[in-house]
Amino acid sequence: MNEVLTCRFGVVFMLCLGLGMPLMAAPLDEALKPLPAVPMLDPAKVELGRQLFNEPRLSVNNTLSCASCHRLESGGADNKPFSIGFDGKPVDINTPSVFNASLNFKQFWNGRVDTLEAQIQQVVISPVEMGSDWKTVVQNLSALPAYQAAFQRAYPDGVTAANVQNALATYERTLLTPNSRFDQYLLGNTDIFTIQEKYGYQRFKDYGCIACHQGINIGGNMFQKFGVMGDYFKARGKTVESDLGRYLLTQDEEDRHVFKVPSLRNVAATAPYFHDASAKTLEEAVDVMFKYQLGRNPSQEDKDLIIQFLKTLSGEWAGKPL
Amino acid sequence: MTLSRRRAGQVLLGLMTLLLASTLVFLYLKSSRDQTATYTQSRDLIRQLQQLNAQWDSEVLKARIALTHNYDPLVAPLQEMTRIWADLENRDFYHDPADLPGWQANREAYQAAIQEKARLVDQFKSHNAVLRNSLAFLPTAEDDIQAQFNRYDDEGRLQLHDVATDTYDLLLSSLEFAQVTSDDRAADILVGLGKLAINKERLPPEFQGPVEILSNHISLILREQPVVNGLLDRIAAVPVAERLDDLTTHLNQDQQAADLVDHQYHRYLLIFSTLLVGLLLYLAMRLLRSFAEINRVNRALQAANETLEQRVERRTQQLKDAQSELLDSARQAGMAEIATNVLHNVGNVLNSVNISADLVTRKLRSSKALGLGRAVQLINERQGDLGTFFTEDEKGKLLPGYLNQLVDAIALEQQGMTDELAQLSKSVDHIKDIVATQQHYAGASTLKEPVHISALMDDALRMNAGALSRHNVTVVKHYAQVPEILADKHRLLLIMVNLISNAKYAMSNLVDRPRQMTLTVQPRDDATLQISVKDDGEGIPAENMTRIFTHGFTTRKEGHGFGLHSCALAAVEMNGQLTAHSDGPGLGAMFTLTIPMVLAGNPT
Repeated sequence: MNEVLTCRFGVVFMLCLGLGMPLMAAPLDEALKPLPAVPMLDPAKVELGRQLFNEPRLSVNNTLSCASCHRLESGGADNKPFSIGFDGKPVDINTPSVFNASLNFKQFWNGRVDTLEAQIQQVVISPVEMGSDWKTVVQNLSALPAYQAAFQRAYPDGVTAANVQNALATYERTLLTPNSRFDQYLLGNTDIFTIQEKYGYQRFKDYGCIACHQGINIGGNMFQKFGVMGDYFKARGKTVESDLGRYLLTQDEEDRHVFKVPSLRNVAATAPYFHDASAKTLEEAVDVMFKYQLGRNPSQEDKDLIIQFLKTLSGEWAGKPL
Repeated sequence: MTLSRRRAGQVLLGLMTLLLASTLVFLYLKSSRDQTATYTQSRDLIRQLQQLNAQWDSEVLKARIALTHNYDPLVAPLQEMTRIWADLENRDFYHDPADLPGWQANREAYQAAIQEKARLVDQFKSHNAVLRNSLAFLPTAEDDIQAQFNRYDDEGRLQLHDVATDTYDLLLSSLEFAQVTSDDRAADILVGLGKLAINKERLPPEFQGPVEILSNHISLILREQPVVNGLLDRIAAVPVAERLDDLTTHLNQDQQAADLVDHQYHRYLLIFSTLLVGLLLYLAMRLLRSFAEINRVNRALQAANETLEQRVERRTQQLKDAQSELLDSARQAGMAEIATNVLHNVGNVLNSVNISADLVTRKLRSSKALGLGRAVQLINERQGDLGTFFTEDEKGKLLPGYLNQLVDAIALEQQGMTDELAQLSKSVDHIKDIVATQQHYAGASTLKEPVHISALMDDALRMNAGALSRHNVTVVKHYAQVPEILADKHRLLLIMVNLISNAKYAMSNLVDRPRQMTLTVQPRDDATLQISVKDDGEGIPAENMTRIFTHGFTTRKEGHGFGLHSCALAAVEMNGQLTAHSDGPGLGAMFTLTIPMVLAGNPT
């Protein structure tokens, strides 16, 4: 019987191995992919988008720019659990990083829009974020000759809401953080990883993190329910509206607590974690993931290895590591 | 009226032209609108969509059998399809108006299908990810439990053998369930899970954790596998490909319809072109007819022109005849005028001749020569005793003295008559001159000769000398020093004689004061000489001033109104001018002649 068991086990193991093998056989053709090159876009639009990104006139009371919450020098987000809106009150969801956002298959935590343009459109008029409206924004920008000229250079029809959004989105498409140690590893420079980091990557795959955090952006290409293996929200207590995730969009019970899987690129620089900013550190975040998403109980050593691996995902911005 | 009608006609013509041209252009555009390319491209785009859709399906299946753990290929086709769809939406091609709602409906059906499929694929990704994860984990979970078993000795292991077997069976059932999902197997697994839960109670505490994890994952597989299978079925059922086929079919129909419309417009264009050609032919005929008409009218006009020329020639001939007649009569009139002129001048001089002859006659009649006759008679009576007669007779004694006186008187008489006869012969000379001048005129040229103006003035005075002395006219002369000039002597003389004569007449009724005439000669400037004759006579009333030089105007009873007229003409002929001035009736008059002063030395 034992023999049979072993035999069966062996079959299953081989089956699993067989399924896993194609990935293993070509080390550099992984489920995770290196960042693509920064796209070559119209420099006039990119520069205009950069100015607009830092432009507080996008908010109703000239207090907030995109850069107020998406700080490029600190991971493309701020370090607060909830960023402060134009009215001085915190918003109800943690700010995701703007870096590599163009590689996400949808935008916002609950993926309610498909494009960066639509994301910008919503943030500006959000009553808790910038609180403005597009007519006002276009008026305010039109009043400035410098913007008039810059828009005329980049767009035939000058200052319009669509052009503001396009300029910002164009700039954001250039906000990639290449050259992370992991990317260099994927590109063939395997020596750049320490042995622990290689183990960490192995654990990351073995424990199934990679089931969701995958693709070019190491996440950001699917939705997933928060609490697959346990009721995270019950354990955390007191749920708020933003915890509903995609349910807010679809009103489908199936989508309750379903969120876009966030990218893990630069994850070491974007604490706190999760939409509710409930995890202050990577350790806490990894613990929550193991418990509620993977339903596993790894050793402390494995978790440390995984965290070491996660730290290799930090890329560079403007030539400086994040 | 005709102008406005013509303008209206032009506007109408312009509008007609515009209408025809725009119709032609419209038909041309309608018929030449080549949509085949658009349709081809659109169908090409739809084909790409179909391809992407198929690719998407295959990626879903790859994920289903865990060939790939990367879901980026599950995202990319949708993004590409969205882009291509937007491109397709931007294309504009013909739809049968009645068919437009159908096209709209097809598009909406496609969009609904693709949205549904995207939603299902997203759900598939979520569920498949956790399902694959748990399935992949099962062997490891089993290993964990096995590891716990292995810690026990054989006896303990025997005790737990049933549990291990059950667990193992459950594991296998779950793996099989992943391959063949059926309600029976689901029930088996549920039973297995129940057993595991019971077994768990019997197991030592170190087993609790791994068993719970295992049962959790098996529960998940039990829950997720049917969901994933259901999603796959639903994804396969989403009719994206069918909708795309519908769109292609629709496009084909639309293209056929468009072709039909094209053909129709081609036919219209052909008909319209035929009409236009007909119109052109008609217009050409009209034009030819117009040309013929114009030619005919032209010929008529030419003929009329020729007759007109003949008539004009005739008229011209008549005019010429009339003119020559006129010329003849004018010449006769001129000759009459000249005759009058000559006669007048001759008359003037004859006056002097008459006076001189009269004077000589009178002198002869009262000649002392008669006394000589009587003395000779006395002598003849006493022929025999002449001595006594001269010495003794009273009368005879006086006779020698008387004869001496007589000789003196006769000598005086002779002297006077000689003078008068000289004057007479001068006048006759003048008449000769006048006639000669007239003959000269007939030659139509002026004879310029050196003239001493003062001498000429004196000649003129002398010609009137008799009359002047009879009328007791005092002549005052103011002659400036004028060099010899080139002038028509006889014309000048004629003018001066006339002017002096007139002045004399003007003063004939003057009784209250001496009759004085003033003659002035002075150069007005370097090139002009001014000669004036001034009298203190009756003057000229202002109303006559303008008529004074006209032919036939006179204030004298016996006058014929020719003198001043001919004078003025003569002045003009000499390139000069004759003017009159009077301060009014009774205040005298002054006639002034201005002539060019051409010095005799340099006759330019």
